[in-house]
Amino acid sequence: MNPDLSETQSLLQTTMRQYLETEIPFDRVREHEEKRVADAELWKAMAGQGWLGIPLPETVGGGGAGLVEAGIFVHELARRAVVVPGAEVMTAAVMLARHADGDESEILAALVDGNAIVVPAHLEAADDLEKVDAAVDAEGRLAGAKHYVDYADFATHHLVTARGTEGLGLYLVERSAPGVSTEALRSTGRTPQAIVTYRDVPARRVAGEAAVGQLIDLARTFASTQILACMEVSLEQTVAYTNVRVQFGQPLAAFQAVQHHAANMCMHVESSRFLVYELLDALEDGRASSDDAALVKASLSRAVPEVTMLGHQLHGGQGLIEENDLYFFTIRGKDRALAWGSAEECLAILARDVETPPRWL
Amino acid sequence: MDYRWPDEYLAFRDEVESFIHEWRTPELLAEQRELEGAPGPLSRKYYEALQKKGWMRMCWAKEMGGDGRDPLYQFILVETMEYWRMPYGNLTFTSVAPSIAQYGTEGQKAAYLPGIWNGELTFAIGYSEPNAGTDLASLRTKGEKVDGGWKVNGQKIWTSLAAHSTHIWLATRTDPDAKKHQGISVLIVKTDSPGVTIRPLQTVSGLKTYETFYDDVFVPDEDVLPPLHGGWSIIMHALNHERVGLSPTSNLARNYDVLVEYLQKNAPHKLADPVVRNRLAELRVELQRHRALAIRNAVTIARGAIKPGEASMAKISGSELRYRITTLAMDIAGRAGGLARDDARSIEGGLIQNNYLASPILRFGGGTNEVQRSIIATRHLGMTR
Ligand SMILES: Cc1cc2nc3c(=O)[nH]c(=O)nc-3n(C[C@H](O)[C@H](O)[C@H](O)COP(=O)(O)OP(=O)(O)OC[C@H]3O[C@@H](n4cnc5c(N)ncnc54)[C@H](O)[C@@H]3O)c2cc1C
Repeated sequence: MNPDLSETQSLLQTTMRQYLETEIPFDRVREHEEKRVADAELWKAMAGQGWLGIPLPETVGGGGAGLVEAGIFVHELARRAVVVPGAEVMTAAVMLARHADGDESEILAALVDGNAIVVPAHLEAADDLEKVDAAVDAEGRLAGAKHYVDYADFATHHLVTARGTEGLGLYLVERSAPGVSTEALRSTGRTPQAIVTYRDVPARRVAGEAAVGQLIDLARTFASTQILACMEVSLEQTVAYTNVRVQFGQPLAAFQAVQHHAANMCMHVESSRFLVYELLDALEDGRASSDDAALVKASLSRAVPEVTMLGHQLHGGQGLIEENDLYFFTIRGKDRALAWGSAEECLAILARDVETPPRWL
Repeated sequence: MDYRWPDEYLAFRDEVESFIHEWRTPELLAEQRELEGAPGPLSRKYYEALQKKGWMRMCWAKEMGGDGRDPLYQFILVETMEYWRMPYGNLTFTSVAPSIAQYGTEGQKAAYLPGIWNGELTFAIGYSEPNAGTDLASLRTKGEKVDGGWKVNGQKIWTSLAAHSTHIWLATRTDPDAKKHQGISVLIVKTDSPGVTIRPLQTVSGLKTYETFYDDVFVPDEDVLPPLHGGWSIIMHALNHERVGLSPTSNLARNYDVLVEYLQKNAPHKLADPVVRNRLAELRVELQRHRALAIRNAVTIARGAIKPGEASMAKISGSELRYRITTLAMDIAGRAGGLARDDARSIEGGLIQNNYLASPILRFGGGTNEVQRSIIATRHLGMTR
């Protein structure tokens, strides 16, 4: 039982944190956010750092690391609120590397270089993660629509869930193929999201039905990781602010009621950190179930509004203006709380099996 | 990073479980209830067997007479025992004995430790006073130096187990001129000493505790823990020993299990209700959140690191979840959930109802949660004091 990062994991964490904090000022994030376009330059730079292939095999140029390392990557990007598809590409990359039926080394090598950008496309108009109507015919042509697809236009490929002649599966589709059209959405998180319509688009089947569940578990876990980062930074900014903001002749942080709000935020952050990394570690060798991923997502999706809103409470008016960096984490956190299964949806999954005794060791 | 429990820990858990199943008889449970956890004839035998296993001292340093095992074994022992509500050493074992072993004179170790191990000697903790609760260091029970010892006068309250104990571990002001935290000593007082009066107090959960009064009670010099006037650090040290398993998840999870089992047998229609199932799902989430903080704290302590904020988080989350889980469990169970343990129809001996009524003590006792939250803020987060 060791919940702490190893030396190499810590090194990845600090390297990324330092890089992003020095290279990416928050104003640059604001620019991309406003235009709702991905930071392509940052993506290229990260390819140069060798970060895009962290969990991919060394044979395709990847880092040969695991899901914990991929989680650190997602975590650090979310801490800087940067507008890049880190979680999405990690999800697709891991699916292609570990759960594809055939050899996908060509596209994986391109992912590592940043030349290919693959994002999952799953949810449909019904807003039900368990319902897939998109269909691939016997000629391998996809028809259907996917909603809330993150970074649909920045991507070179979509990893689409659809029903084909061999049943439910994952299909690889080129974004530039004729018949793919997108309609941009303006959601809370201010990152690029779109409705994607596929009309008679060539689609290559890469994995079968089991992979669909795995894709959801993984995407859900990375969304939890992003939420963790949002809560963490919201708390850090709140502690820093209340330590310097003086009212009634003393720093706000010295008021007991203020301390107690911060302590409550902290308990959410610390329990979430344990749960997220435990899940990543357990997913790595197949110890985690879909219920585990749903439980963690339910927990974090519930926690993030509490934490970020307490952050606002303790910032007063300052925290609400967009010149202050606090809001990034409020909006990104809530957006990810809704993505890949809200607290309510995840609780409904857990509710199916309440008879098994809860784990206490 | 590796979140798995290595096999040897899991094997230890299994060993503890089979020991529990061997000893957990209805007679033992009845005796425990009657004596409020103090040893009676059956539990003395049980403690003897437990003692033979060596678990109560397994994590102590070898120099202190222990086995030098990793404190995570203690964590697993506590979690496993707590699930079944089995006694595994009350404060006499977890608080008094380690302090005697660490601070006591050779004479004190010889006089008290063997008797503690075989269950003959039991201690009540005499810290709190009517006017010294959370602000414990303002305690006023005073000891005056007399020939060969100390003359003690004062009053303690909440001296739990006093009527069933042979001794009281008494925090006493021995230097009235020193600063608040510096004039306190720990005295070992026999409960049958002339001048000691014990008066019961009934708490709402059914548990009894006691007021104790001290009128010119004589305590010989050899029963004063060294260092004289240095008792505050002994008291803090004693509290530290409880930290590794201070807030188990298992006894909270037991409430959940008892509820689900009850519904399966007696009210399957309730268990089929999606709203009920959703509430249960929420409790599972809360249990895992608490488990995260409890294990995090235990791992830190096992490494010998000191992070008071982590212990505070585990303490707050466990104590507050106890109230939430039991109130919801009572609601879901319905009227039967409100039956007390002296009603034969109560669920699992009124376990959930009793836990509900006993939950406040865990929130304000052992360092009230308001103070714990400030510890998190100032010592973990670095907020201005
Ligand atoms: C059943 C039972 C068994 C016990 N067993 C023992 C025992 O064996 N030995 C022993 O020595 N003691 C024992 N205690 C005493 C227990 O440790 C005290 O109750 C505890 O320390 C709180 O003290 P108090 O009750 O005087 O509450 P107070 O100190 O009066 O505190 C009441 C409340 O005031 C608030 N408060 C107090 N200080 C602060 C602060 N600084 N900031 C913010 N809020 C604050 C908190 O909400 C707190 O919960 C027992 C108590 C009970 C009920």
